[in-house]
Amino acid sequence: MSPLSLVSWNPSGSLLTVAWLLLPFLAAFLAALVPRLARPLILLVVATTLAMALAAWQGWLPADLLLLGPLGVRLQLDPLASPLLLLTALVHGAVLLEGWGRDLEKPFLLLLLLLQGGIHSAIVASDLISIYVAQEVVGISTFLLLVQGNRAPQLWIGLRYLLIGNSVMLLYLLGAALVYREQGSFALAGLEQSSGIALALLLLALLTKAEVFLSGLWLPRTNAVAPAAVSALISGGVVCAGLAPLLRIAVAAESAGSLLRWIGLASALLGLIFALAERRVARLLAWSTISQMGMVLLVPAVGGLYALAHGLAKAALFLVCDRLPADSLEGWRSQTFPWRHAAPLLLASLSIAGAPPLLGFLAKEQLGLALSGPPVGVLPGAALPAAVLLLSVGTAAVYARLWRLPGNDAATAQAPPSSPGALLLVAALLLLNLSPWALEGWRTLLAQGIGEALLKSAGLLLAGLGLQRLWPKGPDGVRLPDLEGLDDLLGGAVLVGAALVLLLGR
Amino acid sequence: MAIIDAIDGFVVMEALMLLTVFTGLVGLLLRRNLFLKVMGMDVMGTGVISFFVLVAARSGFRTPILDGNVAFPGGNDWADPIPQAVILTAVVIGLSIQALLLVAITRLASVDPSLDAGQLDQLGRD
Repeated sequence: MSPLSLVSWNPSGSLLTVAWLLLPFLAAFLAALVPRLARPLILLVVATTLAMALAAWQGWLPADLLLLGPLGVRLQLDPLASPLLLLTALVHGAVLLEGWGRDLEKPFLLLLLLLQGGIHSAIVASDLISIYVAQEVVGISTFLLLVQGNRAPQLWIGLRYLLIGNSVMLLYLLGAALVYREQGSFALAGLEQSSGIALALLLLALLTKAEVFLSGLWLPRTNAVAPAAVSALISGGVVCAGLAPLLRIAVAAESAGSLLRWIGLASALLGLIFALAERRVARLLAWSTISQMGMVLLVPAVGGLYALAHGLAKAALFLVCDRLPADSLEGWRSQTFPWRHAAPLLLASLSIAGAPPLLGFLAKEQLGLALSGPPVGVLPGAALPAAVLLLSVGTAAVYARLWRLPGNDAATAQAPPSSPGALLLVAALLLLNLSPWALEGWRTLLAQGIGEALLKSAGLLLAGLGLQRLWPKGPDGVRLPDLEGLDDLLGGAVLVGAALVLLLGR
Repeated sequence: MAIIDAIDGFVVMEALMLLTVFTGLVGLLLRRNLFLKVMGMDVMGTGVISFFVLVAARSGFRTPILDGNVAFPGGNDWADPIPQAVILTAVVIGLSIQALLLVAITRLASVDPSLDAGQLDQLGRD
């Protein structure tokens, strides 16, 4: 891998990167003129992004591009961006495959292209203003995808998303202005010395976009109302747009990095408790996303791989659950699912729970390995790995609620055909183990002795099953407050912002 | 040196602009009417944009366009073109987002003409 810090100038390499970033937008124009070309064009964008992700991982292209002079646009096509690019390409591919034979609403494919373009830019952008513009492109295309169909609930959910997203992005701009006033540039490198308030405003906006903690509370209702394909895109693609800059800031500014670790733990716990008490499948998946995004923030170096494993599995789960009859978990208990739905459902949820040999297992092990290093901050060395272990038991318990043994009866014969998109994503969860993204991790794991890791994983799954059995169920189960009104969301974001200002402003 | 004399003015202006952002945020939080919430967001945007213009004016007031050696009444110190260019993008993005929000609000008005956020929140619940 090429060193990250070297700013290299390679005209042909930078031309290639810029052309790849522009491709989705040009393709969207072309698809608007010739609608028949939309699907091949999306495939082309997916293929080029896969190639770029590989190139970024292997260091074939200049990892750091500075365009238009020292105050200009900075793009980083580095190993941090690579797994996120891979994830968004695969999820877009799966969504395209899912709707291949269907008669989709006309602008859907066009918006898919715009969203791809926005997400790519957001993942590689590495100065405050490019990040801002890319976030807004992603926000607008997600809003338009959410309001497809024009029904009142969809309009309301889309409006909420855009209103909150834009309000926090205004605060982000204010933070960017403060950084510029102090440092004289919008580069991320200056964040280490910039004031706590500026950093807090930037973090608040990105936490909201990355679906973390109280600022991510918009997610459950959004996933419950949005069509499955859009939910899959939100948890597999849109989230990367918020995560990438967040991880970059965590690396650039040490104070932000250690604070994000605490917020990540809080988010993991919050999402877990609400997921355990949730009664509807789509909302359970959303709460679990909030929890898992917290885990991604714990160690930026492993965050990309963790987000990749989670995003693939979560998008697959949304696509499969769309084909299952009931959205209510009470209704699930009395039903059997045919193999074609039960198998991807089991594999994807087992991956998030951390069962070998799926990609999620490797991601969890890598995270554990990274955390067992030297102690961080005030915590004793073993406290953080122990907390993560407990949270993993909770995650297994959440997904144990979805596990049903497949069977065949009269009802399953009439169930809809299997979901091609979910099959693609589940296959990726298995096959990516042999890809350059995972091979190195497996090698370290095998060198250290894999037996202990396997035992730990089995123990985690069993403990999770046990916790799921013990958790109070039925009408008198755990009742949690409803925190998802528009005012709660705005209040939650302001609360997180105020806490960040207090903690970073010292 | 007009600029050095004006430093105190900068601090006052800065405080006023941050106050504008804060006022917008309070409106966004406290108003129940959806339309007024969006207006609150717009007030926030106005504050942020003026803040950028102020940051740009720290080095001088002269518009950073090369036009020969024409004397400029406010002194010949250039304003910083970078924040100005940046905020131009943000103005356009803010405008288009507001347009989208208002379209969505117009459609939602047929569900609840009072545009009460609490009432509309029932839409997303199952």
